[in-house]
Amino acid sequence: MWHTIQGSLPELLAAGFKYTIPLALVSFFFGLIIALLVALIRLSRQKGAFKILKGIAVFYVWLFRSTPLLVQLFIVFFGLPHLVIPGAFPDGIQLKPFTAGVITFSLNTGAYASETIRAAIASVPQGQWEAAESIGMTRVQVLWRIILPQALRVALPPLANSFISLVKDTSLAASITIAEMFSVAQQITAENYEPLLMYIIVALIYALFTTVLSQLQAWMEKTLAKTTPDQ
Amino acid sequence: MKIEKINKWFGDKHVLKDIDLEFPAGQTTVLVGPSGSGKSTILRSLNLLEQPNSGTYDFDELHLDFERNVSRKQKLALRQKTGMVFQDYNLFPHLTVLQNITEGPRQVLKLPKETAEQTAMELLAKVGLKDFANAYPAQLSGGQAQRVAIARALAMKPAYVLLDEPTSALDPELELEVLRVLLKLAQENQSLIIVTHNMVFARRVADKIVFVEDGTIKYDGDPAGFFAPNNPDERIRHFIAAMTMEELEE
Repeated sequence: MWHTIQGSLPELLAAGFKYTIPLALVSFFFGLIIALLVALIRLSRQKGAFKILKGIAVFYVWLFRSTPLLVQLFIVFFGLPHLVIPGAFPDGIQLKPFTAGVITFSLNTGAYASETIRAAIASVPQGQWEAAESIGMTRVQVLWRIILPQALRVALPPLANSFISLVKDTSLAASITIAEMFSVAQQITAENYEPLLMYIIVALIYALFTTVLSQLQAWMEKTLAKTTPDQ
Repeated sequence: MKIEKINKWFGDKHVLKDIDLEFPAGQTTVLVGPSGSGKSTILRSLNLLEQPNSGTYDFDELHLDFERNVSRKQKLALRQKTGMVFQDYNLFPHLTVLQNITEGPRQVLKLPKETAEQTAMELLAKVGLKDFANAYPAQLSGGQAQRVAIARALAMKPAYVLLDEPTSALDPELELEVLRVLLKLAQENQSLIIVTHNMVFARRVADKIVFVEDGTIKYDGDPAGFFAPNNPDERIRHFIAAMTMEELEE
């Protein structure tokens, strides 16, 4: 048993640090940007052409929350190459596995996180907008300096949840040929015929990663609470 | 500072009806009236937190016609000239007292940090809170929070400070702390426009009293005439009597 563990651990960890963690980090980064934009579009009270943008945002969130992540990965990686657009993509939209993974995970996380951020921004009292605007700050200044720092405190726990889910969900990327941790575990199992041991080891490594993230979340919550005590 | 023929609807509710008012510089104007009369809406219109549906607004060289579009530039310029103090303080909870006061000067007026902080400390001394510079709003009493809010408004060096029921959320002792600060400002000829239910204070501090009811101005003049026992307007006499509880025992 020790032999199996010793033999597979370096390979698994290497896959974790090379693919699992970068895939999760990069996707979460883009996911947050998408989420913030979508949340702002949906909260905006602008009229006219903006309404179309709002409709697109609502549709996007609905689409990615109501379909399975695995199916989304398949459509982007296996499906899009068959989408031929004359002029732009005459040979279909061909994506590298990692790129397809990042796109899908970003869009999926963005849909969920946009709801979190929308609720967090809405939870900041209207009086904060008024106070900041009354001293002549622009809407952008109010948002960045007054509203988002307060919204962050509310959004942090559910956003951390999303990130932890994302780290585990990257195991689905095995199915689109990304050599992340779980797919490496499958490959090793095919050689040593030790599925129970191998899948327990890989489960424990995921648990280790997410536990570190939980600790990080606890630390961040404490730091934020220190600088912004409850009202 | 002057508004003319101001009208404001909330849905189909006509809350301000052809309001004409002048606010003399260097003086204290007090707006009184029953709840829902429109006095707070007048005040909020002066800072453009509410935008009237029609009418004009003149302030120094600025001229706004609410039936045309008010530009962003005009809006921001007007807001810098009018500091606002709210009933429930609305301090920024994630910033210290000092940062609450320097936020506007640094972000809007683009003053260097040292200058903004020096002014903020002077203002904190003025409102009696210079030991609280590094406290967070959550650590302050209501009276302290409202004094910080006054300092925050003053830090922008506004021509007028607008106060929307600044002591309604405070118990009498804390109210007194805040009113002392306001009285001091009035005596230094800072232009103030105050919405309040406190008749004792209104009488003491006002250079001009405006009585608002049902979205119209029912009195616009000196406090002596307003509070005179022989004020010809019976409604106003009743209002004052009720507010000062003269009719407590029927």
